[in-house]
Amino acid sequence: MSGVRRVWLVVRREWIQRVRSTAFRVSTVISAAIVVAIIAIPQIYGGGVEPPRVVGVVGESSPQLQAALRAAGESVTLSVETRAFEDEAAGRAALRTGDVNVLLVDQGALVWKAEVDDQLGAVVTAAVQAIDQQRAIDEIGLTPAEQQQLRPAPLSSRSLEPVTKERTARLALATIGLVLLLMFISFYGGFLLVGVIEEKSSRVVEVLLSRLRPTELLSGKIGGIGLVGLAQFALVAVAALIALVFADNPELPATTRGTIGWIVFWFVLGYAFYAVLYGAAGSLVSRQEDAQSMTFPITAVLIVAYIFALEAAQSPDSTMALIGSFVPPTAPLVMIVRIANGSVPWWQLGLSVVLMLATICGMVLLAGRIYAGAVLRTGRRVKLKEAWRGGELSG
Amino acid sequence: MLEVSDLSKRYGDVVALDGATFRAAPGRIVGFLGPNGAGKTTTMRAIFGLVSPDGGEVRWRGAPVGAEQRARFGYMPEERGLYPKMRVGEQLAFFAELSGLARDEARDAAGRWLDRLGLADRADARLEELSHGNQQRVQFAAALVHDPELAVLDEPFSGLDPLGVEALAALLRETAASGVAVVFSSHQLDLVEDVCQDVVIIDHGRIVLAGIVEDLKAAASRRSLQIGVNGEPWMAVLPSGTVTSRHNGQVRVLVDASTDLDQILASARKAGEVTRFSFEPPSLTDLFLEAVSEGRGA
Repeated sequence: MSGVRRVWLVVRREWIQRVRSTAFRVSTVISAAIVVAIIAIPQIYGGGVEPPRVVGVVGESSPQLQAALRAAGESVTLSVETRAFEDEAAGRAALRTGDVNVLLVDQGALVWKAEVDDQLGAVVTAAVQAIDQQRAIDEIGLTPAEQQQLRPAPLSSRSLEPVTKERTARLALATIGLVLLLMFISFYGGFLLVGVIEEKSSRVVEVLLSRLRPTELLSGKIGGIGLVGLAQFALVAVAALIALVFADNPELPATTRGTIGWIVFWFVLGYAFYAVLYGAAGSLVSRQEDAQSMTFPITAVLIVAYIFALEAAQSPDSTMALIGSFVPPTAPLVMIVRIANGSVPWWQLGLSVVLMLATICGMVLLAGRIYAGAVLRTGRRVKLKEAWRGGELSG
Repeated sequence: MLEVSDLSKRYGDVVALDGATFRAAPGRIVGFLGPNGAGKTTTMRAIFGLVSPDGGEVRWRGAPVGAEQRARFGYMPEERGLYPKMRVGEQLAFFAELSGLARDEARDAAGRWLDRLGLADRADARLEELSHGNQQRVQFAAALVHDPELAVLDEPFSGLDPLGVEALAALLRETAASGVAVVFSSHQLDLVEDVCQDVVIIDHGRIVLAGIVEDLKAAASRRSLQIGVNGEPWMAVLPSGTVTSRHNGQVRVLVDASTDLDQILASARKAGEVTRFSFEPPSLTDLFLEAVSEGRGA
């Protein structure tokens, strides 16, 4: 019998045993429901509309204040409301409870709760200055032509990057993708680790290894659990695509569908990379209690990669993001961010995939040897060095 | 024919195997006996390639054992192990397929074995739902589900009650009778006395005695003499030899095969009423102790 068939038998066993479980069905439905909700409800996606700012007004104020504030706010897409207070004490109380964002005293002083909201500060200042200017103009008694001369001509503006809303949406899409990727890789990597320990602690591994090679067993387990993960990931992605068709959410960028496809693609590579680590780590211990300590270093790498990718999301065109999208531990996460943010040149995608595959192949050899050297040693935790030496012949 | 020749294996300073050599023939049950730590499990693991020996080799039907040969072997490790949460029938079929059977054949074989063990109605139960004894039987079936030519069972009797031992012994006899070479290990010699036809005794990684049980017993230089006398202190009647047990007024002693029984019986009668008098070949334990002490003395 060929090694391929033995690997396939292990894959099939993992698939059947896991897909049949209630846990798999329930978690699939829940994940799909969450993703569909995120897509269908615009308020969740892309942050929705900025909430209106409230300016508390106390003491002297001109009748034009409200209109001036509104106009100043509109120019920076901020909606501003006013609320009048009897005295400064009442205003301060409302400021403390957060009912108003800033207090304007006698139309000459701004009082903040703590941090200064620069944007709102600028809006209020501009409004007050406009009123003062108008009053001065009226007092001097200028002709309409003179007035026109005094008004500054508005500057024209255009963006080099996509408009803010689109960028926010893309960032949100990348973030959702990252979180899903992180969740699925650590969950399914964890399942693999627990599965390897289970075989070791129930000693079934010795029965298995009298029939197949350690590397065949490890590959089969990685493949089988990976297929289950991929199926669940794909089901969630399909649910997301269906929701996209029906939701017709205007906040979503046009590239969303393609990006979802790429997220699934990078899940496969990312899972394969980390699963090899999880599998080798699991072979070193014999008890489920030790699983936690073995997961920790791998999860730490994953989280560092995640934080790195979040950084990259803020500046997707930086050199750091470029390098991160080629280095295997971070590549799956950073590539998703870059793809979500706009087109990535084909040669960069290709190079990243090739580097990733090459690293995975190398890791399978290394981890396979550690696995082979450690998986039959029960009892205390096997040291990496011993496992490496022990795996020399039986790999 | 399984031929294990001159196997050696060291773990650091510990010598696990030191030139172990023996054979196992189709249709016969070989008891692979020795104290804990003698090298039984290491030898069995070496047969399945789970341990790489430092020297020596294992051959099956004249060819060095590789993956192709091992597919026709069945192995039941000392540390029992199956998937606790997997259904019994699926589990047996899985192991049968891993050993090279096609999917349908594997399912049929699993069904046949469950029938044979009287567990046909539990095929869809998870392994962990079965009683301890039934789990042991499934473990045994997992080793034999693909109809191997050689069955290697590491301590199959440990943890079984007398009924379980008898049931498993019957299965081993059936298996051997169908032409399979059966090798099982044990450190409980009295328990397996009646099960093995051939015996291989290992101590400190070396084979100290091997052969057909009946032949070895017949050829032994000593016999087991058991006497019970109801009466005066009578120990003086005992011939010279090694006393192995003494209780309830009965004594078991290993004596030279040429001991004059008439004389002993006559003097025993003088001492009182003789309640027991037997003269038999030595037990496996006697052979084992003798072989081990000789081996260690050498």
